Amino acid sequence: MRLSPDQRSALTSLWLAGPATLAMVVFIFLPVAIVAVLSFTDYQFGASSFNWSGLDNYIKLFTSSIGQRAITNTLLYVAIVIPFSVGFGLFVAIGLHQMSTWAPRLSNVMKTVYFLPVAATLVAMSVAWQMVLHPSLGIVNQSLAALGAAPQNWLSDRGLVLYTLAMIGIWQSIGYNMVLFLAGLAAIPSDLYDAAEVDGAGSGWSRFWTVTWPMLGPTTLFVMVVTATNAFRVFETVATMTKGGPAFASDTLVYALYREGFVYFKAGYASAITMVFFVFLLVLTLLQFRVVEKKVHYR
Amino acid sequence: MKRILLASAFALAGISALHAQETGIRVHYAIPTIWADTQQKLADAFMAKHPDVKVMIDGPAEGYEDGVQRLLRESVAGTAPDVAYVGLNLWRVLEDRGLAQPVDGFIGDDPLSQGYTPALLSLGRYGDKQYALATSASTLVMYVNPVLVEKAGGSMDAFPDTFDGIIELAAKIDALGDTTDGVWISPHDWRYQSLLGSFGGRQMNEDESDITFDSPEGIEAAGLYQRFAKEAGMKSYSENDARQAFPAGTLGIMFESSSLQTRFTEGAGDKFELTVKPLPVATQDKAKVYFPTGGSAIVMLAKDEAKQKAAWEYMAFVTGPEGQKIIVENTGYAPANAKVVEDSSYLGAFYEKNPNARVAHSQIANYAGPWYAFPGAEGVAATDLVAASLVEVTEGADPEATIKDLAETLRGMLGMK
Repeated sequence: MRLSPDQRSALTSLWLAGPATLAMVVFIFLPVAIVAVLSFTDYQFGASSFNWSGLDNYIKLFTSSIGQRAITNTLLYVAIVIPFSVGFGLFVAIGLHQMSTWAPRLSNVMKTVYFLPVAATLVAMSVAWQMVLHPSLGIVNQSLAALGAAPQNWLSDRGLVLYTLAMIGIWQSIGYNMVLFLAGLAAIPSDLYDAAEVDGAGSGWSRFWTVTWPMLGPTTLFVMVVTATNAFRVFETVATMTKGGPAFASDTLVYALYREGFVYFKAGYASAITMVFFVFLLVLTLLQFRVVEKKVHYR
Repeated sequence: MKRILLASAFALAGISALHAQETGIRVHYAIPTIWADTQQKLADAFMAKHPDVKVMIDGPAEGYEDGVQRLLRESVAGTAPDVAYVGLNLWRVLEDRGLAQPVDGFIGDDPLSQGYTPALLSLGRYGDKQYALATSASTLVMYVNPVLVEKAGGSMDAFPDTFDGIIELAAKIDALGDTTDGVWISPHDWRYQSLLGSFGGRQMNEDESDITFDSPEGIEAAGLYQRFAKEAGMKSYSENDARQAFPAGTLGIMFESSSLQTRFTEGAGDKFELTVKPLPVATQDKAKVYFPTGGSAIVMLAKDEAKQKAAWEYMAFVTGPEGQKIIVENTGYAPANAKVVEDSSYLGAFYEKNPNARVAHSQIANYAGPWYAFPGAEGVAATDLVAASLVEVTEGADPEATIKDLAETLRGMLGMK
């Protein structure tokens, strides 16, 4: 049988895209659909049957004090981590980019140092942080005491624990953002700076605002999306250091999901949390694309 | 060629015939850091005595929660093991889903002669069926740092045996300096149940239809948390913080599970001679006292009759004196069989070397009681609410109002209204 060129190219496309599409449907879309269905049931892990419970799981998540706390904690965490992590990442990247012209070796060493937290396992790092922040033996409180300041219960004070975790989250993600910004900086053609100088943008600030910042638009968009997704997914530090405690003060969406599904075995409710988490991420990402894309002027 | 084929066919048939006489049972356990070596020793000792049963140990689960979750998953897939070690507070999850098989028929009419006392059996009993047998037990005890006690002017020989005395001593230790602490107890369901039991209170009534910890005993037990914080300067350590601080020698008295004794003794090293003291008994009526028992239990999951028989032989071995001896000597847990404690030929030498272990073990023998698990789907979630309320009380909330609120919340949550 002879195929026309059109048919042949259609077959080739199918052959190229088909397997990946199939895998995606089977391993991503199907499970998501099952989770979506489960979220309307009271299914218990390991149980042989379940009942439909309509929107009960969602109502419970948004009305119970523990559910609300998990949501507000997550939003607060994200709201702290995004600006600081992106801001510091950019700050460090510009600094090291400048430094590479007069001290390339030192700049490289610094890059590695900043990148270490990213490369290290967060769980292992959490154990290290726990020791650093120990209320009586930790170096932070011992230094504070030596300086005459009041020691703090960084991880067991209900008012403080979320900020401590956010600080660790920022520490962990600065390096990653720095690398992305460095790549963005390296891609800015130097003749743009020359042109800006000719046009009268002589000071560092005006060079930054007229050339660097606009040219970093796409990078910033990407960095913000990645940081937001990672911040929303905060889990390792919570699970290893606080287990959501004390008294749910550091409970986050993903940790609540884990707790409900894998400790309490409430698969239905955990599925509802998953769906809410999914929607949050989707909305956030769309919003960022909308807002930031307007500023990415040369697209 | 033909002959070789034939010979190998016969050989294969022979091997499979050999296998047919041997029953294989699969064993699940959790927490390899405590159990890995012990499990292998148990299996080897058992197989030496029962050559007809082959024990296959599944890859361990990280913790008891993970383990139960895996058992549930495997039972859905039809690949569940034949016997499983689970947390003493978690076997009810398996019973609730009809996975744990009752073992009354195997135990027979005279459990006491096998070393299963009623107190020990109560740990694995629900309704009037025996679903689980305790394999290792732990109880809440006080770990004491004698160096700090003496520095604060206390005495180990006249160590206080009332909560008032302990608070007084802890306050003195706390006053020693900025980096020393007097006392610590975790805001946790099991610890709270232990204090409650010391006052003679109970978590729930007999038929588990109502919460009873909002009694005067329960309020007083919760109030201890606040008194520890207010009067003895207890810090809001996390569990890990405290478990680092005590061996480091900066914490005077720590209420913790007796299963941590080996670890703490190693951690303390030469810094101080770690001493274990029994939990104070607060009520006058000693018959009412009970201390909930942590640890593990073994359940039978096999449904096939031949497998059940082999599984029972294994369960009887590990809960019997020989198996218990192996568990006690290797894990630091207390035994869950009366015979092994009564007959000094099993553990006499061990107690001689470990007087601290004897304190915990006799506390279990005298006052062991079940670790109440709240019934139903919300059971585990309820224990987290208990913990959260204890944190609030520690930080100054009114114990009576908080505990009454908590009891009402739990009644609603557990469908008791």
